[in-house]
Amino acid sequence: MVMGLDFSGYSYSTTTTSTEGDQGCNWNDWSPVVDWEALSGDQEDFHYLIDSMMDENVVLHQPVRSIHEGYNRLSPDTMMTDEESNSTEDSKGLRQPVRSIHEGYNRLSPDTMMTDEESNSTEDSKGLRLIHLLMAAAEALTGANKCRELARVILVRLKELVSPLDGTNMERLAAYFAEALEGLLDGAGGGGGGKKLLGGGKEEHHHQTDVLAAFQLLQDMSPYVKFGHFTANQAIIEAVAHDRRVHIVDYDIMEGIQWASLMQALVSRKDGPPTPHLRITALSRGGSGRRSFCTVQETGRRLTAFAASIGQPFSFHQCRLDADETFKPSSLKLVRGEALVINCMLHLPHFSYRASDSIASFLTGSKTLNPRLITLVEEEMGPTGETGFMGRFMDSLHHYSAVYDSLEAGFPMQGRARALVERVFLGPRISGSLARIYRARSEGDVCSWGTWLAMVGFRPINISFANHCQAKLLLGLYDDGYRVEELSNNKLVLGWKSRRLLSASIWSSQDSDL
Amino acid sequence: MFHPKKPSTMNSHERPMCVQGDSGLVLTTDPKPRLRWTVELHERFVDAVTQLGGPDKATPKTIMRVMGVKGLTLYHLKSHLQKFRLGKQPHKEFNDHSLKDGERASSLELQRNNASSSGMMGRSMNEMQMEVNRRLHEQLEVQRHLQLRIEAQGKYMQTILEKACQTLAGENMASGNYKGMGNHHQSVPEISGMKEFGPLMNFPSLQDLNIYGGDHLELHQSIDRSSIDAFLPNNDTFLMGKKRPNPYNNGNGKGPLIWSDDLRLQELGTAASSLGSQDDPFKADHQIQIAPLSTDHRGNDIDSVSDIYETKPILSGEAMADKKFDAAAKLERPSPRRAAFSNERMNTVISAGGMPQGRSSPFG
Repeated sequence: MVMGLDFSGYSYSTTTTSTEGDQGCNWNDWSPVVDWEALSGDQEDFHYLIDSMMDENVVLHQPVRSIHEGYNRLSPDTMMTDEESNSTEDSKGLRQPVRSIHEGYNRLSPDTMMTDEESNSTEDSKGLRLIHLLMAAAEALTGANKCRELARVILVRLKELVSPLDGTNMERLAAYFAEALEGLLDGAGGGGGGKKLLGGGKEEHHHQTDVLAAFQLLQDMSPYVKFGHFTANQAIIEAVAHDRRVHIVDYDIMEGIQWASLMQALVSRKDGPPTPHLRITALSRGGSGRRSFCTVQETGRRLTAFAASIGQPFSFHQCRLDADETFKPSSLKLVRGEALVINCMLHLPHFSYRASDSIASFLTGSKTLNPRLITLVEEEMGPTGETGFMGRFMDSLHHYSAVYDSLEAGFPMQGRARALVERVFLGPRISGSLARIYRARSEGDVCSWGTWLAMVGFRPINISFANHCQAKLLLGLYDDGYRVEELSNNKLVLGWKSRRLLSASIWSSQDSDL
Repeated sequence: MFHPKKPSTMNSHERPMCVQGDSGLVLTTDPKPRLRWTVELHERFVDAVTQLGGPDKATPKTIMRVMGVKGLTLYHLKSHLQKFRLGKQPHKEFNDHSLKDGERASSLELQRNNASSSGMMGRSMNEMQMEVNRRLHEQLEVQRHLQLRIEAQGKYMQTILEKACQTLAGENMASGNYKGMGNHHQSVPEISGMKEFGPLMNFPSLQDLNIYGGDHLELHQSIDRSSIDAFLPNNDTFLMGKKRPNPYNNGNGKGPLIWSDDLRLQELGTAASSLGSQDDPFKADHQIQIAPLSTDHRGNDIDSVSDIYETKPILSGEAMADKKFDAAAKLERPSPRRAAFSNERMNTVISAGGMPQGRSSPFG
């Protein structure tokens, strides 16, 4: 009977989640397959239900659509206009992921509702079932009536259905989510063990060649990386237009690829004083991963060589973070007369999650240095109001489904390339993302770092026309589904169709004449 | 128009306005009132800035003092001066690049005349026109810079890959696994194997970026030589061609996805490892010869991809290492002729691929 009780808890809380969306509809509406009434029944009913969910899904077709559907119903404010969705259809023909948005949209506009609904209903059902299973597992893990055994049973069954390496977007996505939930399940029992998921340990299991190949592919397949780097760099270039010495403190330098284009731009700038001296201080951490002392040192050598090759005066420093990745402003070497720029790339797809304490210490510490500019790139979360684990879980599912769709739309034939990117970057990111959500589930509202910066007194800086223009041109090189919008004047947001994914915002802590 | 933030006269028509009594300032009745910069007001502003020694010397405070308009706040002046300064830059470059001084002077003259004599309509039309031109020009500049930045980033990425290859090669040498250095026959299946990833390599940038015609695009040698080579068989046709439809492009504007297989292969030859970027002609010829091979053996290619990416990582390491050595041998032969060719052909590639039908500026 314990199971029965758990499930009534589940049924209750999911319904609550959906009505928060003010749509007057609940999960039941988008699942004709599952009879939710059965959930409040006894144990046998439940087993029957799970079995029915497992067995009927023979048809395997692009069901990521279903996630959009479900999600869009909950968040009408992210909806696209009609023209937008039509224009994407023209260029994409019958490709599935695009239809997904239509479906979601069409459901809300009754006059166009009948489009290919019927032909796709079977294709949807597997995706819907996968989502339901994921939700059920997540709910069992964290809901009011926790039941780890139930969560484990669901996850085991779920993993039998999907593989991270093949199948549709939704199937691969579900596989990574199931893996991530399993990680939480394992870690959560041992008290605080979930933390190990955070540090990005997973990525380091991949061979360096795979990581580099995936990194190159990610850059070529999607605008995410370049969008973050170029938007930040353009802001930096504008902010230091009249300076002779520029000092950038980089929170997470990785391979240092962001700075190649900045150097190029500094070398070729026309007005202002001649090419300024560029100094980069990279923060490094202990350990042996992609952010360790040695890796950062290697990055420094590479950047120095690159700078020399294009005639950019350059010097490189490291600043080691404390053991708990806390930043101490006093450990930085500063020189008078330098324009100080704080660069904080947080959630580009190839980054793993960093502990928020570390980020907070870095940004707080930065404030005391009175930097000319702070560039921040971070993940966009869903519409505010998504609170609690389930809300954020669904938000995360939606987020990554959009990422998967965007990669597929750009390169539909490169399944293996995408699988590599997913395995090396996105899988670990999903784990990190869920771990973060999981650990924050008791906290109230989790705000974005941008909001946080505003709260601690940083001043927003306007995004220039040139910067906005650059982002648009950049996205023009990729699939039509990408879009850029400007929010609150100091932030550019990169989205895939109606979903916001990544934002770059710029700030200052100085008062200036302008 | 182009930019939501830009205070243009067009916008202000749609917004309820109210005139502030004595000073004649026009403010919107939004919750957050904005000042409308009328032509007269802007003129006074420009005069003040000129008087103060130009936009870079003038500060909001001094301008406020010189203008002496009641109701005008530092806040208004700050943002207007900022826009004014930004707006100045493109003009400067415009001037440097293409527009003769005389033309520029006369257009300024024109603006002045309009401002003082003709009616509101004419003035705002003229302003609009100026604004459009300015934006268009700025956009071109941005585009040019973006091109260079993408190239710089690509070049840097190549240094990373090269380094990785060297490291792996070193490991392999040490363990005695390495054989067949510089053997072309070995490298063929390997390159074809990577074909699937080929179209991903940087090409979209070069093809699509040229929205407005590539005359001024400076292309450095970091460009994938392979994409240039792809045009070798037809280069005569293309060398000077602008806006010529691209034969490889079926006209839907997303070239990389539909380019023929041999083309992808060409790209891969260097893009993946970057090693051929300044190679000699022999290497290029060789690649062209093997191009047909790849189309014939598509099935095999897919298998070899899985060899590379879905087996033990060590295997792919070796593959890359082979390639590195192959190309390292080439690098020892410098070829200035090659470099010269590159630039020429690059323009070709850009011009040829740059104007796909139905694909226009994102601002269009």
